[in-house]
Amino acid sequence: MKQWRRALAISRKDIVSYYGKPPLITWGLMFPGVLLLSIYLKDPGTYLQVSPGIVAMTLLFASTSMSAIVITFEKRAGTFQRLLLAPLHLDTIILGKTLSAAAYGLATTLILVLALAILLGLRLTVPGLFAIGLLLGAVLFALMGLIASMVVKEVFEAMTLMNFFRFPLLFISGVFMPWAKLPAWLKPLAWLSPLTHIVELLEYGLTGRSHFPSPWLPLGASLAFLVLAAGAAHVTFQRRAYL
Amino acid sequence: MASANIIHVTGLSKSFGSLKALDNVSFVVRQGEIFGYLGPNGAGKTTTIKILCGLLPRQSGEVSIGGLDIAEEPVRVKQRLGVVPDESNLYPELTCLRNLDYLGELYGLSRAARRARATELLGIFDLTDKKATPFGALSRGLKRRLTIAAALVHAPEILFLDEPTTGLDVPSAKALRALIQRINQQDGVTVFLTTHNLFEAEALCHYVQIIHKGQALAAGTAQEIRQRVTGRKTLEVTFDGPVPGDWWQVPGYRGRPPAPVNGRWHLETAGQELHQVLAFLLVRAEAAGVKIIDLEAGGANLEEAFLAILQEQRPGKEENP
Repeated sequence: MKQWRRALAISRKDIVSYYGKPPLITWGLMFPGVLLLSIYLKDPGTYLQVSPGIVAMTLLFASTSMSAIVITFEKRAGTFQRLLLAPLHLDTIILGKTLSAAAYGLATTLILVLALAILLGLRLTVPGLFAIGLLLGAVLFALMGLIASMVVKEVFEAMTLMNFFRFPLLFISGVFMPWAKLPAWLKPLAWLSPLTHIVELLEYGLTGRSHFPSPWLPLGASLAFLVLAAGAAHVTFQRRAYL
Repeated sequence: MASANIIHVTGLSKSFGSLKALDNVSFVVRQGEIFGYLGPNGAGKTTTIKILCGLLPRQSGEVSIGGLDIAEEPVRVKQRLGVVPDESNLYPELTCLRNLDYLGELYGLSRAARRARATELLGIFDLTDKKATPFGALSRGLKRRLTIAAALVHAPEILFLDEPTTGLDVPSAKALRALIQRINQQDGVTVFLTTHNLFEAEALCHYVQIIHKGQALAAGTAQEIRQRVTGRKTLEVTFDGPVPGDWWQVPGYRGRPPAPVNGRWHLETAGQELHQVLAFLLVRAEAAGVKIIDLEAGGANLEEAFLAILQEQRPGKEENP
């Protein structure tokens, strides 16, 4: 059987086993849902401005949590060793784990988007670009969670490490404040955040507008970050998976 | 039975910081045999298994499994191995059947082959009625059985068993040993077994390698290992009443201090001094008015040989008072 089919087997197993875990539901769906509802209740006219950011944040939290928690949990339980003992390339394991985490991130985010569409009348202007943004973000963020899972031993350490990066990313990536309104000294830093580019892609998808001159810019940057994250995950797994 | 070498290890070394876990270890495992890798805790047994299974890189030495080096072709080698770690580590949330099915997927079995194999293994390991039970809900003995079944799901050529019966009660351990023999004899699976249970090694293994502090000390069949303790004899004597402890200060006494076990006294002596020891005991018994009601003399068993070999490595630390 080809390695990709084994990767799909890993994903399927993870989806069935872990999708209902309370920390994933709390961080993945409840947190952004409650946040967006609060913003809407405060000022129904401005919720659309922050919607791309909140949707991207949902994707970030759901995808990173799924990959980081699942692998750390399996390392702790000894079941991750099963994958290392099986005739699998490390990239097969990375692909399998990434797919399940990305699928979880996508599913969670789509629930949120669907709820926004039904309850608050959210409409997509460029659905294709919105979908590409979601896909790229889900895979990219899942890979980030995977990398984090390799450098910690406990689930709570994984969450702490992820939050150490996720919250600053929220601050600099135009999630709550549009990129254009960020202080000048912060803008270069925002360029270095993968979340910035996903937010911009979603902004294009939702409103047809963006703070960037062309959608190709965040699309290219997101792809570059994706390649970088895949390479980093490969190297991290090679160095740390067997420890 | 045994024929070609299926595992060939030469000059294997591994250190963790300043600790030398394996120091120039060499051995071969022949196809179809049960190979016992014996040593006390911390001897380097698990480190060896981890290197052979591709979980740890080696520092130096050569490892060939079926003619392939796991460092160079990990996927091809792992396809031929089944591994039972010292801790049962299947997925607690999955049922017994799903665990076997999932591992079958990881080893590339088709759906039909997986189903057939899982059903067969559940039957062999007497777990058919537990097929819908989550692994996490099984008893320790049943977990161990399913872990071994899982290692066999892809019909491997070589099965690594790391301390398979540790922590099991006597009936479970006995049943598991019978299963290991069955797997070896009926399916022709080569078994690499680590244990510090010498009774288990003597009962199961065709060939034994003793390792201590990362160094290979002795190798051979259980009989050959026993013979390394040159001329040593064991003597078990049962009297019809209590006897003074100082009786055992006999001229030919060797090994550990004798102790009563189930009403019998056990001691070790050099073979050529057996006659002298017996004469001494008879004179003492006659004078004290006690009778010898049973007497058994034999060679050293594997445990005694193992301890004697370890003792040879600790000069100046005599066990004999």
